[in-house]
Formats: sequence, structure tokens, C-alpha cells
Amino acid sequence: MGGTDAKDILGLPKTPLSLTQEKKSRPQKESHRKPDGISREVYALTGGVAPLMPSIDVTHLKRPPPPDEKVAWQWLPVKSSARKDDLQLYHWVRVVNDVPPTGDYSFAKYNKSVDVLKYTDDEYENHLTDPVWTKEETDQLFELCERFDLRFTVIADRFPLSRTLEELKDRYYSVTRALLRARAQSPAELANHPLIKEPYDMTRDRERKRALSMVLSQSRHQEKKDAEILAEAKRITEMRLAARRAAEPDVPANENIGSVSPSSNSQLPATAVAPSTLTMADYASTLASLRMLHVYLRTYGLEQMVQAASSAVGLRTIKRVEQTLQDLGVNLKPKVPTKTVCDEHLELRKEILTLLNLQKQLQYKESEGSSHREGTYGAMPDTPKDRVFASEPFGFGAERPIKKEPKRKGPGRQSDTPSPAHKRPRKLKASDL
Amino acid sequence: MTSSSSSKKQAQDPPETSEPTLKSLRTKMTKSDEKKKLKDIEISVPLVYGNIAFWLGKKASEYQSHKWTVYVRGATNEDISVVIKKVVFQLHSSFNNPTRVIEEPPFEVSESGWGEFEIAITLHFHSDVCDKPLSLYHHLKLYPEDESGPLTMKKPVVVEHYDEIVFPDPSESFLARVQNHPALTFPRLPSGYNLPAPMQVDDNGKKKRGDTKDHSMGQWFTSFSEADELLQLAAARQQVQAHIAKLRRQISLLEGQNQTVKTGSDP
Repeated sequence: MGGTDAKDILGLPKTPLSLTQEKKSRPQKESHRKPDGISREVYALTGGVAPLMPSIDVTHLKRPPPPDEKVAWQWLPVKSSARKDDLQLYHWVRVVNDVPPTGDYSFAKYNKSVDVLKYTDDEYENHLTDPVWTKEETDQLFELCERFDLRFTVIADRFPLSRTLEELKDRYYSVTRALLRARAQSPAELANHPLIKEPYDMTRDRERKRALSMVLSQSRHQEKKDAEILAEAKRITEMRLAARRAAEPDVPANENIGSVSPSSNSQLPATAVAPSTLTMADYASTLASLRMLHVYLRTYGLEQMVQAASSAVGLRTIKRVEQTLQDLGVNLKPKVPTKTVCDEHLELRKEILTLLNLQKQLQYKESEGSSHREGTYGAMPDTPKDRVFASEPFGFGAERPIKKEPKRKGPGRQSDTPSPAHKRPRKLKASDL
Repeated sequence: MTSSSSSKKQAQDPPETSEPTLKSLRTKMTKSDEKKKLKDIEISVPLVYGNIAFWLGKKASEYQSHKWTVYVRGATNEDISVVIKKVVFQLHSSFNNPTRVIEEPPFEVSESGWGEFEIAITLHFHSDVCDKPLSLYHHLKLYPEDESGPLTMKKPVVVEHYDEIVFPDPSESFLARVQNHPALTFPRLPSGYNLPAPMQVDDNGKKKRGDTKDHSMGQWFTSFSEADELLQLAAARQQVQAHIAKLRRQISLLEGQNQTVKTGSDP
């Protein structure tokens, strides 16, 4: 092979990781070789892979029978400890050297039964009376329980009076519990009994079954929606992580919020929901994690909530929010962070985010509008550096000169505007408010 | 808006399937939680922490140019030892015994030195309040902002920060003990909820006063009021909201236009 020649020339070892490679290839090779003892086709039936537990010892398969053993099969009567009656049954038995096999019938050990407690009348009088259940009913119930090994579906079916499965279970378990408690010498030995440790709760059982049946009966549509929601949630958490780690362009995130215009692709309606659910989930999880701390500083709490609010947006938007806050004369971090102040601060930040989103929306709408009219030209959107409250005399009577923004003309836009209310896009100023 | 209506829908959908399990979980939870903690009730303790530094003037040496005190006090100068068991100030390693543990109010450390450094202030709470300590960090300031001015012995350099300790889920015993204490803001309890009466602590003269109302350096304390900040925030919010309304109008106008233009341009 060319590879080995090249290696020769370079003087490199032919198999650089010779040792490890060998080791690696060996276990792989072993699995490919079919084991001896069974034919290739039969082995292929198992999928070409050896079973997890060797069911047959391979060495046994092609062994000739030992010469000294004489095996015959005889039709013999059989006794089983599992049968309580005297019925005599027969079956084929493998007899070796005229000695029939000893021991119990090999399947008798599987004859398990449930230990259903039996109560005396006295015990019933003392501990087990119930306003809803009569003694006859309880007796019948217990008899059925024993007969059918606590298979409550069968018992419920056969119970002569109409009772729900949960009621039957409840009665059986509470009677058994009461009996155990009454009969126990000391409460300690009962403590580990499963019936005492985890008592049957009828209402919980009902709820569980109802939930299961609801999940089962979910329509396909519902299932799809649930899957969608889960996928969204996953995406949202991933987005949060990504936004925290690196700066992202905020265009995709903001695009999603507004545009329900006809030209939007089918993806948007689903993702349009994302930001609002995302932030609500974020706030909730931030609040929950703050609660988990049991104690925290309010400034820290505010920081976390601000982060949650900004998690869905890129660095650029965050900077714009901060710039807006400064322009409005608000401290980026409140100097007196009381609860009210922090709540107001957070609300203000959220509102600024909404504002910035709306601005973006407006830009897109305008560019769409003009592209519809022109077909080939698109309007130039406002530069990203537009500041909403730029150098405005806000605050408490501070006098500052208002910068006049130059009016820009988009290519061929204004001539056929039908509505006078639609002003051309220009940087919004205080005078507009 | 489409987004809000569909988000409402989404909020309704998941509970349909998970509600039964949630409900049963909740019933389980409230049974055990009833006794201990209430939901959505928080206690907050307004604090001020910082330092006051005096220049020693004639008595200043190279290594002892300032005399400073770093402290934590209640924002209204009330006694915070009701909540705080002890405060640990971690000073610069060049100080003797840099870990200063103050177990009684006033929670402060006074020292003399020349350097500015970060001090870690760890608040330890009483056992019924919280097991975890809370840390604050304060950069010790000795020299005034205005570097050009002469140092004066009379006016100290004061740097104070306002913050609040929030206990998001206080235990009942904590609530009972501190109700009506002036050092913290007590939440409004749900109607019908009765707390056991606090144990009367007989401290007529036996306990030292823990409040800082008569502190020797009280004249330099800053008084923090939320009023100004609230005013600022309210004004800002108003402006932003007005602007949002305007933009929304513009957008809906445009939407209407786009529709007509589109239908007009269809062949």
C-alpha cells in the first residue's frame, strides 16, 4: 500500500500505535467470529452478535454423549408439591441408567402465592369495622383476594357488589394494615413492613390513573404540541446559555417578536411565541433559584433578574438598554435598592426592551413597505446607532441643546405615500413625544 | 398581539397533562410545609455598609496615615443584631489578626493604616434566621476623590453603600421573633394568619443598646431615601411608555398600508 511505502521513506513506524491497535482489534475481531458449535446461519439469526448471557455452553453442543450413560425416556407418574390434591399425572421423564430423577417437580418452586391475612370475628369486631363496608362484603373481598392472588382487576370484575377497583384495594390494604398493627407485638417490627411504610392512598391512585389515561388518550395534535413545547424549552435554555457565554447578533431574536406580516415564513409564528415564554420562564427560574439561596442581597437579586431579562437578547441590545437608561437619567444600578426601587427598575428595563423591539419592528415594516412599492429598491433602515432619547433634556429641568438630526431620504420613497400620517423615517426626537 | 395570546394558550396546555401529578405533589408538599414556611413572604433588612476614614494630619506616619472604621449598620440606625449574630471582617493580610470577628453591635472595625484594599464582610445570622452566611465586599477608601485638594483632618472620607438582605422564605419562628422590630421591613401576612406572640425579652438596661442612633460618628452617616430614585424611575417609565404607544400606532398604520399596497400590486 502507498501508505506503508510513504512511511518507509519517512522512516516512521508502520503501525505507530501497534500495541494499542492490536489490543483494540482483537476484541473487535472476536465478536465477528462466529462461535463454534452452532452453524453460521443459526448464529446469524441472533443478529450476528453473541447473546449477552451465554444460554448454551458452547462446549456442550457438539459433545458426543458420554458412552457410559444410557439415556431412555419413560412415561412415568409424577408428583409435584405444588398440587394439593391427589390427581396423578404422567409425563415423559429422562431416565439415566434406569434411575429416574429425584427431587420435586422442577417447576414446583414457581408456585408462589400471596399471604392474605385471615381475621377472626373478634378481630373484625375490634379493629376492622367500617361504616361503608359490611362484614359480608369484607369476607367476600378477602376470599376473592386469596383466590385470585390479589389480582385486583379480576377481583373487581368478580366482586358481586359494584365497587371500584380503588375502593376494593383501599379496603383490603387498610384491613391488612389494621390487622398487622393489632397483631404486632411491638410497633418497631412493623416499621419496615411495606404496607406500613407506604400505605395505599386511594385518591393518589385515582389521580395517577387519570393522568395515565389522559396521556394515553392524547390526540396526535396534542402530542405534537407537547413535543413542540418541549423542543422550545430546550432551545430556550440553550439560547440562554449561549447568550450568556458569547455576544450574539440581536437581529434574529428581535425579528421574531414583531413581524406577523404576510411575507414572513412559516417558522415565525412558532418562534414568535418564544421570547415571551422565554422571559417568563427565565424570571420564574431566577426567582426559584433566589429562593433556594435562603438569603441574598437585593442588589444581587436585581442583577440576576436583569440577567434573566437580557438573556434572550444580544450584547448590542443590552448596551442599547444601558445607553437608554443613562439618557433617561437613571442609575444603571440603583443607589437605594429597596424592593420598590428594584421592581421599578426591572420594569423600566423590560419596557425599554419592548421599546427597542418595537423600533426594530418599525424598521422592518418600513423596509417591507417600500420593497412592496418599489420591487427592486429596498429602503435603507436606520443605522443601528439611533438613540431614542439622544441628548434630550430629560430629568429634572436640565437644559441641554437638542441635536438636529439630518433628514434622510430613502430612494424614491416619499412620492407616492398615500397617507399623510405616515412620516418618513427619521430619528425620533423628544419633540415627537 | 399574537404572541401574547399564543403564550397564554401555551401556559394553559401543559397543566392539562401534568396537573394531576402537580396537584398531588402540591398536596403532599403543603402538608409538610404548612408548619414551617409561608410562600411569597419575604423579610428584608435594609443595611448600610462602608467606611469612614480620618486623615491623621500631623500625627500621620508613613505606615499610619489614616484612622478608619469599616462597619455595617442598619439603614435607619436600628439594631440589626436581632437578625445578625456576628460579622466577620476580613482585612488585608498585613494587618495583625486580619480576621476580625465582631459578635456584638456596633458591627465595626477601627484600624489605622495607609492602604486601600478590599474588605470581605461576612454576615452570620442567628440559627432561626438562616444557616448560610452572606458576604459583602467593600473597597476601603481613605483618599478623597478630588485628588488635588489638601487633606484635612476635620472632614473624613465617607463611603457608604445601601443594600438590603432579603430572606425569601422566612421560617415561622423567625417571623414570630422579629415582628414589629424596627430594624427590618416586615411583610404583610395573608389575612387570618396569626403569628404566636414574640417572647418578651427582658432587657431593661441588661443588654447594651445595639442601635447606632447615637454613634460617635453618626454625623457623617448618609441618609438614604428611595424617594428620589423612585421619582426618577417613574418619570423614565412614563416617557418610555409614551414612546412605546407612539411606535405601536406607527406600526399598525404601516401594517394597514402594507396590506393595501400588497393587494393593489397583485396582478
